[in-house]
Amino acid sequence: MESRVLKPILAVYVVAFILFLYGPFFVLTIISFQQGPDGGPQFPITEWSLYWYKQIFGLTPPSRIAPLPVGEALVRSLILAFMTMVTATVLGVMSAQAFRRKFRGSTFVFYMIVLGMMVPGVLTGLGTSLLANNVIGITRHWYTTAFATHVAYTYPFAFLVMLAILNRFDASVEEAAWSLGVKPWTTFRKVTFPLIFPGVLSAMLFAFTLSLDEFPRSLFAAGGSEDQTLPLAIYGTFSVEIHPNIFAFGVLTTLFSFALLSVYGILMAMSVRRARKLAMQEDIA
Amino acid sequence: MTDVTVASKRRGSTWLILPGVVWMALFMVVPILMICYVSFWTQTTFNISPTPTLASWKQFFSSDTYTGALWTTVRIWLIVLAMTFIIGYPTALFVGLFVKSKTLSTVLLVICVIPFWTSFLIRVLAWRPMLGKEGAINIILQKLHIISQPIEVLLFTELSVVIGMTQIYCVFMVGPIAFMLGRIDRNIIEAARDLGAGFGRIFWKIIFPLSLPGVVVGAIFVSVMVLGEFATSGALSGRKVNLLGNIIVTQVGSLKWAMASVTGVILTVVMGMVIAAFLRIVDLKQEL
Repeated sequence: MESRVLKPILAVYVVAFILFLYGPFFVLTIISFQQGPDGGPQFPITEWSLYWYKQIFGLTPPSRIAPLPVGEALVRSLILAFMTMVTATVLGVMSAQAFRRKFRGSTFVFYMIVLGMMVPGVLTGLGTSLLANNVIGITRHWYTTAFATHVAYTYPFAFLVMLAILNRFDASVEEAAWSLGVKPWTTFRKVTFPLIFPGVLSAMLFAFTLSLDEFPRSLFAAGGSEDQTLPLAIYGTFSVEIHPNIFAFGVLTTLFSFALLSVYGILMAMSVRRARKLAMQEDIA
Repeated sequence: MTDVTVASKRRGSTWLILPGVVWMALFMVVPILMICYVSFWTQTTFNISPTPTLASWKQFFSSDTYTGALWTTVRIWLIVLAMTFIIGYPTALFVGLFVKSKTLSTVLLVICVIPFWTSFLIRVLAWRPMLGKEGAINIILQKLHIISQPIEVLLFTELSVVIGMTQIYCVFMVGPIAFMLGRIDRNIIEAARDLGAGFGRIFWKIIFPLSLPGVVVGAIFVSVMVLGEFATSGALSGRKVNLLGNIIVTQVGSLKWAMASVTGVILTVVMGMVIAAFLRIVDLKQEL
């Protein structure tokens, strides 16, 4: 049979494919341990050291290589990602809730929202900065124009996640609450929201991580150097010579993402366990 | 339900949808209309005024730099699209069809997504020590005595841009295809096999046509991202490869808003044509 031959070949291929995906990451991890400050961002490793990690935290004596200008940019990016996460998730939940009923123009509205994740960042960024800079005449900032574009980008993701969750949602529990005379808002808070909470968490995670790493929109829609987000600070080092410190920083941000994802996983597991416990109590009763 | 509550429910959903619609109108639709509008403005060296003119449009189509960027964008897009498909399809085939256990295929997909947790720009930069003259690939090939001289065309050429983009975007091709392949009813394949069809025939007559919607979705993802690219081409080509995105960035950098807008409109048109063409191949609404 062909699949007996084909399957092992494909399995080997998939391993090669995964190596291809991870290759750059292995290389950047190795080079982040390059000796400093004279070791460059290339092979061979002259001496293994933690120099570039120490430099990021300001623990090395000053040298000819300036530390990465990431401190304030990181804080800005985190605040921006948080603002984006809250706004995009609230908008996403509201719109998905509205989509549970058919309304006039719903197809049009659907495509209009989804457009936000399809249109490349260069175009939204350019358009928003034209609008702010040339037509209205206001200064661009990371917390105004860049924030607006970040939400326009992440809100479609939150919306689609919530739409998928609400599609599988059993509306009879809400109807039960309504028929018992519970007000719609209270029903949403006490019945609907706890049930869709895992979806809300995923929407938040999407919005936060997408905003944190968002680059083209920020490039156009954020203002000058006092408005730099983290990706912009990294981009700033593109034009000058690169040093292993950027790779050390890459390793650290990856570890941070892992931590973030673990928190998400724990929260998710907790909410699943709580739901299961509630179901069991109901069974006993 | 009485008419009053139906009416109030309807009003309720209007209020729910309104904030999102307003946000998208203000920060998505209006900005894109702005690009079209500003592309007809009059640009002088330091200033731009709303007097309508076709000057920037004429300048775009009469300059080799700009039209060259258009063709480079189309060429790179086609090559990267083909590469992501060729490299991604076998992986999707294995993950979606050949792996029997759902857990293993989920694990494989998660493994494919993990690299995305590294910042996009740093992932792009990591290709430099990979491809350089003294980079990892050259060192390995020399150690294995496959080559005696380092290959120099690997970095700061169109090739390095294609390699970088293929690696960054091929997962977007794998995901949708694997999803569609996973939905194929195994009984159809069994039936075809019982009737004596070989794997090649089963693949071309059953598996590939049924995976086509996944290919189209993946192709749309990859196309949209590659067409709007400028960071990868900037970082890995040493400014030798100029895409439409790079033109927009440099024009905005020198405050040539009108020219940046013309390029933006052309990029939008190219993208619209590409997506429309893909949707022609497969009617997604029917398939999904």
